[in-house]
Amino acid sequence: SLTRQPEEVFDIICKLGEGSYGSVYKALHKESGQVLAIKQVPVDTDLQEIIKEISIMQQCDSPYVVKYYGSYFKNTDLWIVMEYCGAGSVSDIIRLRKKTLSEDEIATILCDTLKGLEYLHRRRKIHRDIKAGNILLNSEGHAKLADFGVAGQLTDTMAKRNTVIGTPFWMAPEVIQEIGYDCVADIWSLGITALEMAEGKPPYGDIHPMRAIFMIPTKPPPSFREPDQWSPEFIDFVSQCLVKNPSERATAEFLLTHEFIGNAKHPSILSQMIADAREIRESQAYRNAHVTNNAKTFSANDGAYEEATMKQRGDGTLVPNRDATTDLAADLGTMVINEPDETLATMKRHDTDPMDTNKPKYRPLFLEHFEKKEVNHLNIGAATNGTLTSHIILPGDDTVSAGAGGAGVAGAAGVAGGAAGAGGAGALPALALHRALVEEGNFEFLSYLPESELEARVARLDAEMEADIEQLRSRYNRKRQPILDAIHLKRKRQQNF
Amino acid sequence: GGCYLVSPYVPTLVPPYLLEEIPHWLIIYSKADQELDHKLRWNMFRLSELDCYSDMLTRLYKQELQLIVMKYERYRSALLQEIERRRHAAITYHTHSNC
Ligand SMILES: Nc1ncnc2c1ncn2[C@@H]1O[C@H](COP(=O)(O)OP(=O)(O)OP(=O)(O)O)[C@@H](O)[C@H]1O
Ligand SMILES: [Mg+2]
Repeated sequence: SLTRQPEEVFDIICKLGEGSYGSVYKALHKESGQVLAIKQVPVDTDLQEIIKEISIMQQCDSPYVVKYYGSYFKNTDLWIVMEYCGAGSVSDIIRLRKKTLSEDEIATILCDTLKGLEYLHRRRKIHRDIKAGNILLNSEGHAKLADFGVAGQLTDTMAKRNTVIGTPFWMAPEVIQEIGYDCVADIWSLGITALEMAEGKPPYGDIHPMRAIFMIPTKPPPSFREPDQWSPEFIDFVSQCLVKNPSERATAEFLLTHEFIGNAKHPSILSQMIADAREIRESQAYRNAHVTNNAKTFSANDGAYEEATMKQRGDGTLVPNRDATTDLAADLGTMVINEPDETLATMKRHDTDPMDTNKPKYRPLFLEHFEKKEVNHLNIGAATNGTLTSHIILPGDDTVSAGAGGAGVAGAAGVAGGAAGAGGAGALPALALHRALVEEGNFEFLSYLPESELEARVARLDAEMEADIEQLRSRYNRKRQPILDAIHLKRKRQQNF
Repeated sequence: GGCYLVSPYVPTLVPPYLLEEIPHWLIIYSKADQELDHKLRWNMFRLSELDCYSDMLTRLYKQELQLIVMKYERYRSALLQEIERRRHAAITYHTHSNC
């Protein structure tokens, strides 16, 4: 049956959700009537070879690991057929209920998760993407590890080609530092996931991912924000996961004997939580179904929903969704697919499904940043108080944009290019000198700036850093392209002989 | 508990080419003006070498990325420190003038 086209074998029922690399659909295996999940990932032809080689994950057979049944190529899409987990991911449930989990719930989920990790690690397999979003629950409340293997490898391969770096918040220090890593890297991520379930987001989850990458290896291991809210066993469990030195970190096998896990209750304690989430999903789907034909109503609703989310979780449990507009666009995109589409005629699609939990989705800003094609340089150079302006030199542009108050002061951006400022405003040093001071870490000049300017600069930091990084990224992409082209050519030739 | 089981730590996944030294010319290439790039004939290299150079470029990219992030980290803390210093000065000034 593997020679048949996937749409002959499966009926797509509805969309379940969307990740960074593709979408997941609920599907029906026509022959057996079995419900399955299918992840569809667009890949370029170069990757097809690589993917074919990775079938290791199909050998995995554990009740604690999402079962993979096989994969197909459909045009440029890779279809990964896997076990369907009716309750969705743990992060979906948190998001839907706008509620973090209790210690009992966390212990129960961690217990199954550890069994899944023990299974993989015994086979010397590293998951590499443990987070609440990749722990799925079936309708009985059993937790299963998802996105192991193909998806993970795929992420790697794609990352390599696009200078994208994965979501850092769950990454072990040794993974970030690239000094080589082992199964216990997953245990660090598990500790972060425990904090995520308890507090709604991983530590550093609200700072710029690039700063998180910098902080995880340099700072002491993170812990609970409010330690007195949690039992000593839970705190101890997390601290045993979050040991920076991998050789001193506990293993999955060892943690299964931890008191916190020993006290874990039966998965049936999760049934209320699962039922609540399902109900919210269904009512959202109902509401979405009723605004499908009216984008205006939809956007208004969406905004209200997000605002409510933020209010409810005033402690910042859910990260403010910075690109509401893009997300809305994406949503409307989903809606459009809804309309009968010739190319999908063979598939039954109903996008207004009860499982679509994309909104408001915790989306790492990082990915967003790397997907962005253009950075709005104008924003960065915008004057903040009429007298002082940050200068920014656009790539390949030698002109310095002068601010309203005449010559200004370089921001920290320190963009390459040596054009000197046309004389300082008042006592302020010239642009080149000023930039040199920032680069060398001599910040004395800050004492000359008014406080409002200091604050404005703090507010601009992330955007300026992003602009710098974007320049760097595009330079490296340009530099890499000829190498990739050559690789592509050689592979093609190899295939032809 | 005091008893602690230590994992037999042998990293299994070491990034490829991690220990290989990046050739000087590749570093130059990574920073050089793009206009000269076409002079490099990548087709002359073997596939494995090309893979290696591509990975090395990623390493160079990440190194530069870290420099940028660190620069901003230093700048951020200098800014915050200066703001803090002024607030502190303002408070001290206030309490003094109140007496
Ligand atoms: N086997 C499955 N059964 C049921 N729902 C699933 C299954 N796999 C994925 N989903 C749903 O689809 C959503 C998207 O999954 P996907 O793996 O593409 O993204 P993610 O895990 O959120 O992020 P990332 O792309 O970083 O892995 C999940 O949040 C979950 O709700
Ligand atoms: Mg996933």
